[in-house]
Amino acid sequence: MSGLPFDPEVIRALAALLKETGLTEIEVAEKEGRIRVARQPAAPASLTVAAPAAATSSAADPAPAGVPTSPIEDAANHPGAVKSPMVGVVYLAPEPGAAPFVALGQEVEAGQTLLLIEAMKTFNQIKAPKTGRLARILVQSGTPVEYGEPLMILE
Amino acid sequence: MFQKILIANRGEVALRVQRACRELGIPSVAVHSTADAAAMHVRLADESVCIGPPPARESYLNTAAILSAATITGADAIHPGYGFLSENAEFAEMVEAHGLTFIGPSPAHIRMMGDKIEAKRVMAAHGVPLVPGSTEALTDAAKARKLASELGYPVLIKAAAGGGGRGMQVARNAGELDERLVLARAEALAGFGNDAVYLEKYLDRPRHIELQILADEEGRVVHLGERDCSLQRRHQKLLEEAGSPALTPAERDRLGARVTAALGKIGYRNAGTLEFLYQDGEFAFIEMNTRLQVEHPVSEMITGIDVVREQIRIAAGQKLGYGQADIRFTGHAIECRVNAENPVSFAPSPGRVAAYHPPGGLGVRVDSALYAGSVVTPYYDSLVAKLIVHAPERTEAIARLAPAIDELAVIGIETTLPLFHRIAESADFRAGRYNVHWLERFVAGTA
Repeated sequence: MSGLPFDPEVIRALAALLKETGLTEIEVAEKEGRIRVARQPAAPASLTVAAPAAATSSAADPAPAGVPTSPIEDAANHPGAVKSPMVGVVYLAPEPGAAPFVALGQEVEAGQTLLLIEAMKTFNQIKAPKTGRLARILVQSGTPVEYGEPLMILE
Repeated sequence: MFQKILIANRGEVALRVQRACRELGIPSVAVHSTADAAAMHVRLADESVCIGPPPARESYLNTAAILSAATITGADAIHPGYGFLSENAEFAEMVEAHGLTFIGPSPAHIRMMGDKIEAKRVMAAHGVPLVPGSTEALTDAAKARKLASELGYPVLIKAAAGGGGRGMQVARNAGELDERLVLARAEALAGFGNDAVYLEKYLDRPRHIELQILADEEGRVVHLGERDCSLQRRHQKLLEEAGSPALTPAERDRLGARVTAALGKIGYRNAGTLEFLYQDGEFAFIEMNTRLQVEHPVSEMITGIDVVREQIRIAAGQKLGYGQADIRFTGHAIECRVNAENPVSFAPSPGRVAAYHPPGGLGVRVDSALYAGSVVTPYYDSLVAKLIVHAPERTEAIARLAPAIDELAVIGIETTLPLFHRIAESADFRAGRYNVHWLERFVAGTA
């Protein structure tokens, strides 16, 4: 009945065979010719993120699943993390030799100065965003920090 | 030579500058907003500093953060890329005040060419042909009307502090002039903080042809040939060619000689591009860009000269080491600016790029920071890739372009690639038969 150069029933039978067996491809060759029936596997191939390895800057790499997150990432995600609002150099005391602004374990109030960040020769006071206990100090005096870097943790 | 270069930009140009630094063996610092923390140039960087939240004003335009990043990393030079702070004379001055080298022209020249009226005055004084128009800011409606009728309508009202196709109004007759002047001034004030405007004769079917130049500390100036950037939509270039299908080598040489002489006289240094309108065989200077341009790759392909590397070498005090006679123009190059936009509506299409495959082969170059898994954010401009082809003749370049467009796969966001496919197939484009209005008509033809 069909004007096709092949028997569609053969195709149907082959397709059913593929489904039944879970194969993805069947090719049948006869004197009259050759038929090949193929299908995509049900699940698409997973895409691997093909980013080239970066030799350094490990802090920037997203942690693969199953690997414990780094302490830096834990700190940044802590609800009491005080993050740097600017790029500059941290100072924990008002001047060299003086006592630091705050000590570990100290109860600090919202608005209290925690440390200084020096940027472009200007010293900026970084204040506690909320009241809490100073649980961790994550930076050292004289070291540079970037925007968003966790400085201290208040609990 | 510099010990460390801070790259004050993002996306494909940050990667471009980083590559030049790498070739020169110079460590570089990538600065980035929080939105770009996983950007390719940050991943490949020797050092990176997060300088702010996503908005450009708080990150890539944040002078204090960028200078601070340079200080804490010990960078001794800053490359500003294009856009952002690249033509900000105050930023260039601050870089120098901090004892760093700004990789680009002097703040004085940035300022000179940033004032479009002053730029024209200086160029005219040195023999560069202009679009007929006013030589000073218009303050008086009566003077404007008189000048406009002398020039002949239609006229174009432009913001002195504008540029890049922004801040322009057309007045087709005297009746429109007054209200358009008021509108233009208001827009100039809002857009650029300066309401000075000037008039130019409106050319109805020009080509946009620009000349790339390089100049070293010793006053040697060369040009890298012209680029035809007539294919624009809303004054934004979408496709560029080196050389122009409309120019002969003799015309290029003549224009180049005039331009390099003028720049030599004003003592310009580093890279720059002079933009012209070309109609009826006449060139008319409109403005100069004192920075690297997006479309610099096509000039690189036909000359074999790495513009970014030359910028770095020049800024470090090195001589060009070659003259105009040493520069050979070989073949023809075409660049397509692939944007993350719907190819018909041009609606922005930010999102995660699930899969990415660039084309390759002889004479095929892709400058892009995309990778499978990267995210195109809505905070910055929509350019995601530049596809550049180079071949011995223009017809071969077009034959190389079409398959490359089709092979470039960006899955997960919409891009303007289908539009470039149609452009590459169009008879007008293949014949080089277009002007600055062509692309908008071509796009509207399918709407």
